[in-house]
Amino acid sequence: MLYTVFWLALTFGLHIMLVNLGIFLALYVPYLKWKADKEGDEGLEKVAYKLMRFYAATYGVAGVFATAFTVFLLSYYPNFLGLAGNIAMIPFGIAITMIVLHFFSIATFYYGWYRWSRPVHYTLGFLLALSAILIPLGFRSVFAFLNIPVGLHFANGKPYLNVSEALGNPTLWPLYFKSLVAAITAGSLAIAGGLAYSYHKSEDQAYKAAINKVLRQLAPVSLTGLILMFFLGLWYAYTLESIPYKFNNVFASLGWKVGDGVVHYNVAWVFVLKMILYVFQFAVIIAVYKYMRSGSMPFAKAKLLLYGGLAALATIMLGEWLNAFSQYPYFIACLGSPQSCQSILAEIPKDQLPYIAKILNLENYNQLAVVSSVRMLTDGFMLFLLASVVYFFYAYFFKPEKA
Amino acid sequence: MNLLGQWASYPAFHDRVLSMIGIEVHWAILQYVLGLSAISFILYLIYLKTGDKKWEKLAYTTFKGFVIVFAVGAATGTASEFGLVLLWPNLTEAAGRYVYFPLYAEVFAFLLEVIFVYLTFYGWRKFGKAAMVVLLFLSVLGPWYSAAMIVSVNSYMVAPTGIEPAYNLATGHWMYDQGYPKVTLVVPKDLVKDLNVTLLEKLGMDVKGTTNDAVIVAMPSRIVQRLAYESWAGYKVKDSILKVVVNKTTIAHMSKDQLNKLLNTPVKAIVDKILVKTVETVGVTWVTFKSPVYAASIMHVIGAALTVSSFTMLGAYAMRIRKYKNASKEYKEYINAAFKFAVVFALIVIAVQGLVFGHEMGRAIAHYNPEKFAAMEATTVQITPVTKYLPGGEKLVALLAYGNPNAPLPSYDKIPNDYCVCQLTKAQDLARIGGTCRPPLLIHYLYYTKITLAVLLGFYALILTGYLWWKKDPEKTPGWLLSLGIVAIIVVHLVSYLGWAVREIGRKPWTIYGIMTTDVAHTINPASTTAVALVALFFILILIALGYSVWKFLWVPGRPEEEV
Repeated sequence: MLYTVFWLALTFGLHIMLVNLGIFLALYVPYLKWKADKEGDEGLEKVAYKLMRFYAATYGVAGVFATAFTVFLLSYYPNFLGLAGNIAMIPFGIAITMIVLHFFSIATFYYGWYRWSRPVHYTLGFLLALSAILIPLGFRSVFAFLNIPVGLHFANGKPYLNVSEALGNPTLWPLYFKSLVAAITAGSLAIAGGLAYSYHKSEDQAYKAAINKVLRQLAPVSLTGLILMFFLGLWYAYTLESIPYKFNNVFASLGWKVGDGVVHYNVAWVFVLKMILYVFQFAVIIAVYKYMRSGSMPFAKAKLLLYGGLAALATIMLGEWLNAFSQYPYFIACLGSPQSCQSILAEIPKDQLPYIAKILNLENYNQLAVVSSVRMLTDGFMLFLLASVVYFFYAYFFKPEKA
Repeated sequence: MNLLGQWASYPAFHDRVLSMIGIEVHWAILQYVLGLSAISFILYLIYLKTGDKKWEKLAYTTFKGFVIVFAVGAATGTASEFGLVLLWPNLTEAAGRYVYFPLYAEVFAFLLEVIFVYLTFYGWRKFGKAAMVVLLFLSVLGPWYSAAMIVSVNSYMVAPTGIEPAYNLATGHWMYDQGYPKVTLVVPKDLVKDLNVTLLEKLGMDVKGTTNDAVIVAMPSRIVQRLAYESWAGYKVKDSILKVVVNKTTIAHMSKDQLNKLLNTPVKAIVDKILVKTVETVGVTWVTFKSPVYAASIMHVIGAALTVSSFTMLGAYAMRIRKYKNASKEYKEYINAAFKFAVVFALIVIAVQGLVFGHEMGRAIAHYNPEKFAAMEATTVQITPVTKYLPGGEKLVALLAYGNPNAPLPSYDKIPNDYCVCQLTKAQDLARIGGTCRPPLLIHYLYYTKITLAVLLGFYALILTGYLWWKKDPEKTPGWLLSLGIVAIIVVHLVSYLGWAVREIGRKPWTIYGIMTTDVAHTINPASTTAVALVALFFILILIALGYSVWKFLWVPGRPEEEV
């Protein structure tokens, strides 16, 4: 794998895993807080606060991997980012404004937990949830564009984006809904797993009772999410049939072919791995479902649920890699099967085609950014900081407080 | 003279205003990210030295303030980053291609920040004192390292490495007729052979030396900016000013196909070769740090952050003193200690910021951005400069800027309107850059407002220090003097903001001085005015809401378990 692609893939994978957990928490914690207030359940509020504290502690780590990804992209592929910046103002704009709102909501919702009036706190919770839903809409619009650049036009030799056409991208809505449901499913499984595990470590009865309530709620959420994921995954796969290059890289060697059925960059094994993890999650939820609903979870089952949650997060990462690598080395998937976006490509002025084709190829990276001194620095720093992230989570979860 | 009109006349006015608001929101937050982290570290060291718990409590409160604003700062930083990509994509592309290193290395700073800031905050009760010192130090190092990286890129935009300014201090004359300002470039020899060097020298280019495979030249910025424009506008050699300076002898020996290939070569490909060679020669990792204004800029930025943070602490604790009448003795002692610390610290940092860092910044600008300096000092008959009202004003400025009261100041009125445009494409260039190469005179008033307010802040801190020294007890400070603390918070932000505004607005019509003009940096698909206004409003509302929230979290008593 190319050095540049390796770092992009790693930072993006870690980012997306934490972000999915975050989307679920952003939707669930405000609801839990409201329910705790409504029922006057202090234990439930304690769970909600703990989850929010976890979110406040980890969203920055998610953000940092996003920044690392963006900066790697800027340094390795500056021309691509320049082109994207010139045409993708609206989708990126939606994502950016919502990111600002989301970070603001996290800070005010968490640090103001005991300070706001309930209506204000609920409003902040609503903003937290709303922004969590809208950030991926902006970004998934960009990802759909990277499948097929629907809405791309040229006027006087300059590219521009017709946003209403872009919203009609056949890959956008399945990708967006699949992402949201995946976040809810993986998030609910991972959080349920973590809480079930902490149930057996806690001696606080009110807190334990609240965990039982939460597990009871999350069981059907996880199960329904897993079932929905099957259909949403299928929907997305069907829309990718219009891009044979991408589709065949995933499915052709498994027997599902479109067009010429040629595999250019085989990523079927990633898909198979993802399916194994998916089946494992299904098995886990079936195995623990009745315990989650009954409010009595043996420790062995709690551990199993935790593994299921971790598998769910790993599935998210694999899914993202699958989506990206299946179009390798193209930034825009349909360039691998030009017939799938012929009308769009026909608009590109002929004299610009070689330049655009060059900058949309991941194998043409900025040589200045991979000089040996910078590579050494990158490797050393990333290693140190990944170790620090692991230590951070260790200290957060396991290190006891001093008396 | 219509100063606002002049400022608005440069390209992309709406997007410049939006960037200004977006970056200002981020800038305001950064003051605390850089300042509060350092103050918290100092307070913790005091706690270690004295063993007095109130200093630890104060260190924690300060750190908590830092963590809250850091969270939003990360978001506004992301927004600024994307804002640059969307509003100024060509600048972003150029930065990513040629001066990427500080931006790249900044990621590691950000990683340091996120991990150690949160580890410190969530581990406050989990780690021993020695570990806390290390964690707090790393929490300072992250933001300061981050600032060092970003400021280097901005310094490069203010004065690129190798810039040769147009003002001759010895004669007091501008040297535009000799092609200044000039940008140092390293041109690969395989390109040099295709160029008419004699003609280029007539146009103002100086050959400075050679390397094994390249020639080092000082190229007039009027040619460099034109080539930058042609690069991003998709020009080919056949339509470019390069066609004029192509070596006719080389062409004469070319086949038709070779000639055709040369004429159809994108200008961007040629410019790219030159810039890559230049960056490689100067040093990929060092190129921005060698900007002649870098050292002064980073000191000035850190100084601003410490000043804003300390005056904010001062104002906040002054308000506490006004309201703590019936509080416990222990609480009063805690607030008094915090107030005394903030006052003395504010006095020290504003003095150093003004007398050392600010002075060095001013000197750097006078030497390397003489056009901006002329606008800052309004050496013109078009408006009345503030210095006219100060006895010996101009001599004082000359003394501070050049170390000689009799040194001539650069005349704004003698800056030609067209010094930055290529004479072969003068009409087109002037039209796209907004009609003039002169920087906006508005910055004169912004600059002197800033200086005046900063001096007033300095006096305020001095008076408070004197009062504390005289009366010993902060509670005996007159109420009106304490109330001014709140005004000081607003004023110190205004001062900091005005400093940044002078730096950025004063660079017009350039985005990268001597290299890239604003129109080239700008997106080819700008958003509508309404969209820009809405986003700007959104940012302002977020800033106000954040300010209110931080005040509520830190100054309105909360649940006891939130205390250390």
